[in-house]
Amino acid sequence: MQIRLKCTCQQEECREWSIIELQGVVESHPSLVDHLQNLEIGRLCCVSEGNYTFTVGYHELSGTKMALKKPLLVLKKKKVGDAFESDSSDSSGVELEVIGIIRHRILFKTRPMALISKPLVKDKKNL
Amino acid sequence: MDEEQLIPHADELEWLETNSFLVESEGEDDLPFIAEEIRQDDGDLPFSAALPRPHESQVSRKRSWSEEDEGSENIGEIIKREESGNKRRALDFLEREQDEDWLRYSPPQKKAPAVHIASESDVLMVEPPVKEKILSRFAVEIEGDCVPVTGPYGDRVYAKMKSSKTDIEGPKKQRKEHLKYGLLSEPIGIIIKKLDHEAFAKAFEENDCLSCHQTHSEVPTFSEKLWVEKYAPCSFTELLSDEQTNREVLLWLKQWDSSVFGSQVRSTTDDVLSALRRHSSPVQHKRFSGGETFFEQGRAAPFTRQSLKSWNADKHIENVNGFSESWSKKATVDHPLEQKINASDDRSSLTLESKILDAVQIASVTADSKPKCLVIDEIDGALGEGKGAVEVILKLVVADKKAKVEKPNSTQQSLSEFSSRRGKNSATLLRPVICICNDLYAPALRPLRQIARVHMFVQPTISRVVNSFAECDIRSCLNTLQFLNKKKETLNILEVGSQVVGHKDISRSCIDIWNKIFQNGKSNRAKSSTTNLNGHGDFEFMYSLLSNRGDYDLTMGGIHENFLRLSYIDPMMIKTVTCLDMLGVSDSLHQYIMRTQQMSLNAFQPPFAIAIKRLIALVDKPNIEWPKSIQRYRAMSLERKDLLKNWQSKISPIISRHLSTEYFAEDFVSHFLHILVPPTLRPIALHLFSEREKDDLAQLVDTMVSYSITYKNSKAEPLKGAHNNGTAKDVSILILDPPIGDFINFKDYQPTHLELSLAMKQVLLHEVEKQRILRENSGRSLNPGNECNKDSQDSTITKLEVLHDIITKSASVKGNDKPRLAMLKLENEDNHKNLNSKSKKIVSNTSVTAEVTGDLKKPSRPISFFDRFRQGCNIDSKNHVSNLQKAATAERDSRPFLFKYNEGFTNAVKRSVKIRDLLL
Repeated sequence: MQIRLKCTCQQEECREWSIIELQGVVESHPSLVDHLQNLEIGRLCCVSEGNYTFTVGYHELSGTKMALKKPLLVLKKKKVGDAFESDSSDSSGVELEVIGIIRHRILFKTRPMALISKPLVKDKKNL
Repeated sequence: MDEEQLIPHADELEWLETNSFLVESEGEDDLPFIAEEIRQDDGDLPFSAALPRPHESQVSRKRSWSEEDEGSENIGEIIKREESGNKRRALDFLEREQDEDWLRYSPPQKKAPAVHIASESDVLMVEPPVKEKILSRFAVEIEGDCVPVTGPYGDRVYAKMKSSKTDIEGPKKQRKEHLKYGLLSEPIGIIIKKLDHEAFAKAFEENDCLSCHQTHSEVPTFSEKLWVEKYAPCSFTELLSDEQTNREVLLWLKQWDSSVFGSQVRSTTDDVLSALRRHSSPVQHKRFSGGETFFEQGRAAPFTRQSLKSWNADKHIENVNGFSESWSKKATVDHPLEQKINASDDRSSLTLESKILDAVQIASVTADSKPKCLVIDEIDGALGEGKGAVEVILKLVVADKKAKVEKPNSTQQSLSEFSSRRGKNSATLLRPVICICNDLYAPALRPLRQIARVHMFVQPTISRVVNSFAECDIRSCLNTLQFLNKKKETLNILEVGSQVVGHKDISRSCIDIWNKIFQNGKSNRAKSSTTNLNGHGDFEFMYSLLSNRGDYDLTMGGIHENFLRLSYIDPMMIKTVTCLDMLGVSDSLHQYIMRTQQMSLNAFQPPFAIAIKRLIALVDKPNIEWPKSIQRYRAMSLERKDLLKNWQSKISPIISRHLSTEYFAEDFVSHFLHILVPPTLRPIALHLFSEREKDDLAQLVDTMVSYSITYKNSKAEPLKGAHNNGTAKDVSILILDPPIGDFINFKDYQPTHLELSLAMKQVLLHEVEKQRILRENSGRSLNPGNECNKDSQDSTITKLEVLHDIITKSASVKGNDKPRLAMLKLENEDNHKNLNSKSKKIVSNTSVTAEVTGDLKKPSRPISFFDRFRQGCNIDSKNHVSNLQKAATAERDSRPFLFKYNEGFTNAVKRSVKIRDLLL
């Protein structure tokens, strides 16, 4: 079976994505299980070239940007409508749209640093 | 010379005479010659002509002497000695002077029957015409110089050589008469007086005699002399110590002859035998006025000295180890032959060393020129400065041994082997060293013990010491006798019994004393029933016993602890009360004495004990236990005081200053315990309390906090467990933290205050803890500064944690409460009750915590993440903490996610390895 990839790179600039890899889990508060939408997970800051910090809850993670050996594509599956079917001879009915390409990942593999002092928290809140 | 001093026992004399008879008869040929010589020398001898058999008597004595010294092996030397009789006599004279003291005081003895048989005619012939003593069996009886004369059958008499002073003869004769009838024919007082008088006269005579002899060093002052010295043993046979030991020591001393005198080593058995023979046949030397001794030491002189040496040494060896309180102890040490060194007096090792070296190495240059035997007394006392004496001696011996080993001479080596216990060869001069000690096993003597020969002197047996009325301490006996003599009192049995003088060192152990007090000996009773006087004696005895012991505190303590165990008949308790009264008075007296230090008042202590004895003494042997209660209670008192002190330091000074140790146990503790356990406190939940009860509880908690008293967990003691066996086993028991209940935990005392239930105690514990924390908090918050704020924050956290724990615990217990309750209900009614109260308490607990959390929230809000998180976690478990939940939800949006770090893991096999396993 043939699946067609549709890339719009030629027409417009292909958006580059990035992977955040954590050693650990981001857990939501048990009371918030049902309504997670629009909640901020954390803040990612680029401290310097290639160095990032990621703040989740009261933990601050620090990580580095690394290039993937093989880039990854981010695809979006599309149901091809009947209208399209007439256009194309393809009969699969599924189309994958390339949304982005991932060439880098940011790896947070160190132990998180706890931010428990009050003034710091407030500062962050203000941010 | 020494052997001349000896006065043998009659039977020993006989034995010796029979033994030596043959030998003497052999040498009879020589005798006339010597006798002649003697007569030549002493032209002024008035009785030499009158002597019926001068050759026999005089010479045989010489011969026997020589026999003993040399035995049959050296007859040639005997002859030589006889030839040089002059010189020897001169020597003897010098030596004799020293021994004369003894001779005068040696107790006269009965004549041996052999004397009568052998020389009956001679003696009789001489004696009747001349009333003064010319010939006598005993040298003592002859004034001035005398010559020993031995008859053909071995009997020996002494012939007077010079009777310049005849005026003293009178008392002599008198004395002799008394002696013939035995000691007891006259009261001892008269005899003693006579003896004294005689001694005095002799002293005068002696003075006169000595004035013409330049060599006499010591003018005896007999009237002043202690009897202990006066009757010190002068001869081998008079030694009181064990015969075996005596002989061993003598043997050992004889081993020294070769090194000391340079003569050949003889077989020891001969030496001992001859010495013994010498001892048993005392010989009196003639005194030669003009004798010159220095150049004569070549052959004969060593011989004499040797015998002398052995003699004197014997006396001193008696002292060795000092175990025998015998006659000679220190009296004879002053003899010029020997140098006495009292090690305990000369404590410094330097002086001691020089003294020892002086004694051992420096040849005596005095006229008598006798070799010295070093006697060190009390060597175990010479430890003051680094075991001075012992080290010096050791040094000498070690040096000596080295030198000896190098020497090829075999005899010398064998000698050095013999230089054991008391004796050591010094490298330069070879002298024996005798050390006397009281404690053989003193640590300082350890090195010495290894190189020395040890002779133990045991206390002489009673049979040996005939008149041993003062517990075998002969010196004490003598002192007593002299004391009585000084007082010119006549002795009778009663007075001897009541004399305290003789009982120098009679102190008994405490156990003995208590035995004496509690036990009424049958003999004592019999005596007291017969005469009043003996009852008095009993009192005296007890009094001296108690006062000798002296330790009235202990003595009375022992009586106090033991007398109630006696089964004396006392239906009305009168005796017991009296005894207790006496003990009380004695105690007060003791206290007074100790406070005022008026020790003389101690004299009134013994009568109390004696009075108690009169009251309750039984015939049965009491079973006495050593009083321990004083020490026990003293230790306990210290412990309690320490506890109280610690407690007081925890209480604020405003309160603790009113707690004094004086009335604490009596007036304070029981009431305080009553306060701590108010009867109004009902074991119900706190929220069920009425307002008044709440006030009461608050006040109680306040009191406890102010006195810093709380409850604490402790493992169930068996006694306590029995007390509240209703509680479940796993529940530990709560006791007051400073265990002030112990202060009134007297034996057989039931405290009247109530005991709170366990649940109530737990409630109180928590309340007190809370209150304490609150107080600390408030105290701190008063103080300005960041640190304090931080602290208060911390304490809030801990507080919250505590609360949280309580909440969760109570929740879980609550859930299980019903089934457990039902189960336990079946088991035990008591259990049910307790559990009920427990559950109630838990309810109250939760309510309390709810209250407190409400209170706490206001002053300090929890701000840290940790607290928030903690509280948030518990939100659904408890709705009591709605405040906390609200606070958590308020922050939910800002922190919805948390990061949970994944720890690394390993799948390696882990097991614990001990170093021990690796080592194998």
